[in-house]
Amino acid sequence: MRNSLIAKATVAVLGAALLAGCSSSSDSTPKAEDTGPVSLTYWAWAPGLDKVVDIWNKKNPNIKVTVKKQASGDDLVTKIITASKAHKAPDLVQAEFQALPTLVSNDVLADISSEAGSAKSEFADGVWQQVTLGSDALYAIPQDTGPLMFYYRQDLFKKYGLTVPKTWDDFAATARALKKKDSKRSLTTFSSNDAGLFAGLAQQAGAKWWTTSGDKWNVGIDDAASKKVADFWGGLVKEGAVDNQPMYTPAWNKALNTGTQIAWVSAVWAPGVLTTAAPDTKGKWAMAPLPQWSAGENKTGSWGGSTTGITTDSKHKAAAAKFATWLNTDPEAVAALVKNGGIYPAATTAQTGSALSTAPEFFSNQPTFYTDAAAIAKTTAAGAWGPNVNVAYSAFKDAFGKAAQNKTDFTSALDSMQSTTVADLKKQGFTVG
Amino acid sequence: MATATVRPRKRGRPSGPRVAPYGFLAPAGILFALIFALPIGYAVYLSLRKVEIKGLGLGKNARHEVWAGLSNYTGVLSDHELFAGALRILGYGAIVVPTMLGLALLFALMLDSKHTRAGGFSRLAIFLPYAVPGVVAALLWGFLYLPTVSPFTYLLDKLGLPEPDLFSSGLLFGSLANIAVWGGTGFNMIVIYTSLRAISPDIYEAARIDGASELQIALRIKIPTVAPALILTFFFSVIATFQVFSEPTTLKPLTNAISTTWSPLMKVYQDAFVRGDIYSAAATSVVIAIVTLVLSFGFLKAANSRTDQGAS
Amino acid sequence: MSATAVARPEVRTASDTARRRGLRRLGLIPTVVLLLGAAYCLLPVAWVLVASTKSSSELFSTFTFLPGSGLADNVKELSAYRDGVYWQWMLNSLFYAGLGALLSTAVSALSGYALAKYRFRGRETIFNVLLTGVLMPPVILAIPQYLLMAKADLADSYLSVLLPSILSPYGIYLARIYAAAAVPDDVVEAARMDGAREWGIFSRIGLPMMLPGLVTVFLFQFVAIWNNFLLPFIMLGDDEKFPVTLGLYTLLQQGASAPALYTLVITGAMLAIVPLIALFLVIQRFWSLDLLSGAVKS
Repeated sequence: MRNSLIAKATVAVLGAALLAGCSSSSDSTPKAEDTGPVSLTYWAWAPGLDKVVDIWNKKNPNIKVTVKKQASGDDLVTKIITASKAHKAPDLVQAEFQALPTLVSNDVLADISSEAGSAKSEFADGVWQQVTLGSDALYAIPQDTGPLMFYYRQDLFKKYGLTVPKTWDDFAATARALKKKDSKRSLTTFSSNDAGLFAGLAQQAGAKWWTTSGDKWNVGIDDAASKKVADFWGGLVKEGAVDNQPMYTPAWNKALNTGTQIAWVSAVWAPGVLTTAAPDTKGKWAMAPLPQWSAGENKTGSWGGSTTGITTDSKHKAAAAKFATWLNTDPEAVAALVKNGGIYPAATTAQTGSALSTAPEFFSNQPTFYTDAAAIAKTTAAGAWGPNVNVAYSAFKDAFGKAAQNKTDFTSALDSMQSTTVADLKKQGFTVG
Repeated sequence: MATATVRPRKRGRPSGPRVAPYGFLAPAGILFALIFALPIGYAVYLSLRKVEIKGLGLGKNARHEVWAGLSNYTGVLSDHELFAGALRILGYGAIVVPTMLGLALLFALMLDSKHTRAGGFSRLAIFLPYAVPGVVAALLWGFLYLPTVSPFTYLLDKLGLPEPDLFSSGLLFGSLANIAVWGGTGFNMIVIYTSLRAISPDIYEAARIDGASELQIALRIKIPTVAPALILTFFFSVIATFQVFSEPTTLKPLTNAISTTWSPLMKVYQDAFVRGDIYSAAATSVVIAIVTLVLSFGFLKAANSRTDQGAS
Repeated sequence: MSATAVARPEVRTASDTARRRGLRRLGLIPTVVLLLGAAYCLLPVAWVLVASTKSSSELFSTFTFLPGSGLADNVKELSAYRDGVYWQWMLNSLFYAGLGALLSTAVSALSGYALAKYRFRGRETIFNVLLTGVLMPPVILAIPQYLLMAKADLADSYLSVLLPSILSPYGIYLARIYAAAAVPDDVVEAARMDGAREWGIFSRIGLPMMLPGLVTVFLFQFVAIWNNFLLPFIMLGDDEKFPVTLGLYTLLQQGASAPALYTLVITGAMLAIVPLIALFLVIQRFWSLDLLSGAVKS
């Protein structure tokens, strides 16, 4: 039977392969770039990316890029690492900033400093440093960032006589005031599902979760800045001043849509989410800078943000780098990314460029939306990532989930997150200071 | 069709019947080797390895796969969270398996009873949840469970009754078990029902003539006869319970009450897909597989001895 | 199985008349129980049907079971998403599940027949080993299977999802039961005496007798493959090859900065359940033929 013939052949191949050993050493000899037509694959999840790629393909018939849309998240990182182990990774991949050390550590991303190093001038220092990992190499081109800001229901704030908080103390006061006036509503919720948000808030407070000293890694998840943030939110949850349910659930959508929650600490890409999550509230929200820890300060953190990396498996690194640079710095490309993907570009000129000259439709009541956003983006503190961010995020979900549910001490949750992260680093074989 | 023309048996049987079974089983065997045996072997191999990092661990040649001996296994066996997860699924299984099989048996008996109306419709309806993919089922039940969007809390509220928190630690097991029962009862019902239909109605007639009531027929004839089917559905249900993964995983984003390692298999997934540590994941899986094997081989032996007693 | 399989004649004796009234009352209980079960099982499905008629603002603001007005819009939006990739996903699912279940039924039929109708050395061992294939969790098999497929240069291909779906231990078990019950030994013996070859006996005598049972095996495996998520998730990078389950998942996981497209997923789910319902209704015809009606009575 045909089945068994193919199967027998496969067994022979696989058996031989297994016997030969399953080690994967990556090809280190650089190949001369082909001059003929080139076909590239790109794993990404940003919505509408294929429309942007269409523009490139029309202009560059010799370098054809195909987008393969993936599901975002932790599993994508593992999927690409697995594919890389089997030497089947695509040429280009969308990678979040926090995933870069993990990917580089698994030899997934190639060093493209010679092909694309000149792009440095297009990005802010804090952003660029996250794609070089503090070295001379370049591992990815920044695509979008997510500076944090404060969104609130203008109409409901007026109704309840609330003022827009400028410091976190004001924020706590506003939350309590709202509860007094209407116990059924909350200012916002603390979500144990979204470690990225907490990381951004910690960044604002000055935390640096992973640092290196020589060959050693240091984990500072429980440093003073992060403790401050954890205690602040833990207190509010315990008091009942804010809700404790996860975000991005149907219940959360409903809460935003019906005004049960009237504010959202979120990033610059919030309009896109609000459009789908709370369509009935269009035009009722406003955006303000994130509350600060001391009056007069001007800092913010970042939630999310991704880059375009070129894999070590790619056989056309120069062509891929050319595309990646175009995608993230060319005005036409960035405008298309903004329009189709609803992202906020990392390229500095684009942030004040024509693509962002009008406010998003959802915020038609705030015409200066993007000008304000650009000003806030300038104050973003850089993220400090390490090779096991996934583990830390997962530990966050467990520890803070329990703490939020039981309204217990957030500091011990933070300590638990720290110890899990350190233990995992050691287990993986890293030297931890 | 061949009729039962009786001929005297030849001496010396043809070799066909001796070779044929092996030939017929060859496709399954080859597929088994490729799809299960080889990957399982590879997974066991991986469970004895680990990764060594040089320096900061960034860049080429920073990671090396090396021999780890049994260190992954000692890690697994001393893991408190894994043990806690195992206890949780024992509790979960204690709810799911009897409920699901009990309902499956009940529905199968009802379908098999004379004078049932709308049997075809009910059979189709009860089997339908099996057709709903896990991703979708969890989304569905998420909408039905979450208090602010659920119709049940809405109705209870209107009636003035208290609304239970389906994600509280008391009710969580029940909520998760419900999804599994909802999804799996139809499948098991069909399996049991099909083996019920194989019983000759002459036996029922004989019993009725002897004065047995429908209930007695059900208890004394039907249930014992489908016992082998019950045993094997039990076997597969227990395995499925030990490997519960999709229900807690897909409900997890909706609530604080489920951790990322709620069930042992979620821990395997965490290790393999989130931490990127395929080696511990492999070791944990081997341990889970061995435990499941040991516990269920007893049932399998019992099932086989029973089916062997019957004609084959 | 101790009983042999025969067709069920409708036996009516005179004594039935006296008990008819009692029996009819008894018929009420099973009917009610079954209908309750049906209602419980249909509830979430009904929810999907109703929810798919709602636009995204209606989804979170109206009562759950009140139908909305957005069905046509939802379907249009779903079809417009990435130029109709949803329908490609449906075709993929049909391919994986249809062909996979067909091949799986064939393998199960062969194996079940062999295990039921022959006595040979190692029979029970082989059976047990096949069954224990399900013991190793698919979560951990996925990565080794992927790596092995990659070495055979089959990763990210239709075959990489199809091949692992063909072996079904449960299908083999069911086929074994059917073969044992539906194919009488003496028919096989008689054919053997007539000089028929083993393959001929199987294909011309055994297989037709097993057919109604094989329909069940086909159905089970079709649904199992249709719903399979983890295998295609790991094997496939090209989203044009995704089955519907995986495709819908990517709609839910668009990253923090893009919202989950609930209405599209719900509409997509509703449309995905429809072919399965259609399949069941078609298969029902085979089921209502009395199962296991043998060609030969013993």
